Amino acid sequence: MRTREYKRIQESWGGARTTGPLSLGLPMPAFFADLVMRTDEDRRAFETHPVLMDAVANGVSVERYRALLLELYHVVWHFNPVCAAAASRLDDRWQAIRHFLYEHMHEELGHEDWVLNDLEAVGVTRGDARAHAPSAHTLTLAGYNYWAADRRHPCSALGMLYVLEVIASVYGGPFADAVRESLLLDGERGVSFIGSHATLDQQHMAELRQVLNRVDDREAQAAVVESVRVNFHHFTRIVEAL
Amino acid sequence: MEPPPAVGVAGLLGRPYKTLRLEWSSELRLLRARLAVKPIQCFSLSVMAEMRQVTDDITANPGLVRHLVMTSDVPGVFNFGGDLALFVLLVRAGDVESLKLYARRCVDLVWWLENAANLGIHTTVLAQGDTLGGGLECVMPFHKVIFERSAQAGFPEVLFNLFPGMGAWDFTIRKAGLAVANEMILSGRLYTAEELHYRRLVDVVVDDGQGEAAIEKVVQEVDPRLRGTLAALRAQRLAVPIRHETLMHIVDLWAETALGLTDRDLRLMERLARAQARKAGGGDEGAVEEIKRLELESAWGDRRTGFDRRATGGSDRRARG
Repeated sequence: MRTREYKRIQESWGGARTTGPLSLGLPMPAFFADLVMRTDEDRRAFETHPVLMDAVANGVSVERYRALLLELYHVVWHFNPVCAAAASRLDDRWQAIRHFLYEHMHEELGHEDWVLNDLEAVGVTRGDARAHAPSAHTLTLAGYNYWAADRRHPCSALGMLYVLEVIASVYGGPFADAVRESLLLDGERGVSFIGSHATLDQQHMAELRQVLNRVDDREAQAAVVESVRVNFHHFTRIVEAL
Repeated sequence: MEPPPAVGVAGLLGRPYKTLRLEWSSELRLLRARLAVKPIQCFSLSVMAEMRQVTDDITANPGLVRHLVMTSDVPGVFNFGGDLALFVLLVRAGDVESLKLYARRCVDLVWWLENAANLGIHTTVLAQGDTLGGGLECVMPFHKVIFERSAQAGFPEVLFNLFPGMGAWDFTIRKAGLAVANEMILSGRLYTAEELHYRRLVDVVVDDGQGEAAIEKVVQEVDPRLRGTLAALRAQRLAVPIRHETLMHIVDLWAETALGLTDRDLRLMERLARAQARKAGGGDEGAVEEIKRLELESAWGDRRTGFDRRATGGSDRRARG
């Protein structure tokens, strides 16, 4: 559980909903539900990409897993700086979201080291991992997230968070199982980042839903939707290129 | 903004669907809908929206469609049912409203099928492969249900502490009685086409590869006496009604139950999702085999339901491999 500040935000935000017409004649869903629906095909395009499906179904070679972790290291490395860039651009109208980002950054602090630990477990030294040049897809992903936080809308960072947490909490567990089975890894060794985030991000997902349901500004909502689409797209390209 | 209703056959067929393939036979005024959610054939939000569009278009053109036929375009799978990854996402997010919204969309389709005779439409479905959970719920309101012999079906939800919430109880009870509904829903086990035929949930079982001919036969038989058949089916539904209100109450209970799933339950759901991915990738084993493993692991089946299969007839046998 998070700090008292976060609990206060949770309590003050619980159950907020917007109203209005929806194509099915039902009440307008809260923004989280709207986001899930509007980006569902992007999520499914990631989930059903042949490379990912094969990895989840049959596991991966050690070479491919190393390649994934090397890209992931850079994705994770940029996570907090992107959140910081977004937080620094959120004025007091968005104070609650700024505080949420602070909390999230605190929780994610140092998680890139978990990726380095996993890389060591599969035979890549920390030095080699740090020296690895990220792929163009990874650079594009990071570049978009900085640009969106700066130029589109700082709430775009919530779209990045959503994608990372969906990937971790929905697909992380099965993928970690597949990696363990195919590479004969014991327990969390080699899969500590993916495996532990599959569990950690369950609570994060519920918290993020509450935060997203407070984003009632149309421009900010559009920016989050775009960010989710772009992040799923680039993640899919990263996986595809492995 | 909702798109305007389609006008005529050209309008009906002219929409750019991604997960459906529509075909039109003008002689019989038969609309064929092929489900094509690839690579994992399930009821994604996208196909639900497209199915909704098709049914809205049919409703907006009274008298245009006389026969609706549904089949699958994915070999070996009619439908895996709900989008498991979406369920996991919504459950982990604690989003009961979205779970209800998704389930209501499914019930909307089931309810439209239930009332198709009132629109002058006879409905036929052909299952040529795995038909699980929501896939089987979708099949049951059709007027004529055809299974190819190798198709298997069931409601596995109880294996991960859920239940089928989009019409399974009402439609199974109406077609096969409460004892069969109890047996099927509470055991979570899978049934062969023959077993489902024996329980009156499937009307016609044909050998593999004969499904298309069976559709043709059904439609050719019904068409000359369509008005009488539809009137009889309307009367049948008055005699044994299914209430929309009950379906909606069950949907709410389903969503609230889903929200209470534990990490262990969700991991079992993820096992099924992995199995679906294996089958979609060309593997020999898929969700059906995984469900059989879960059945064996949990060893619930008959002990839970108290149902003695041997008392129901000699042709009945367990689907376990």
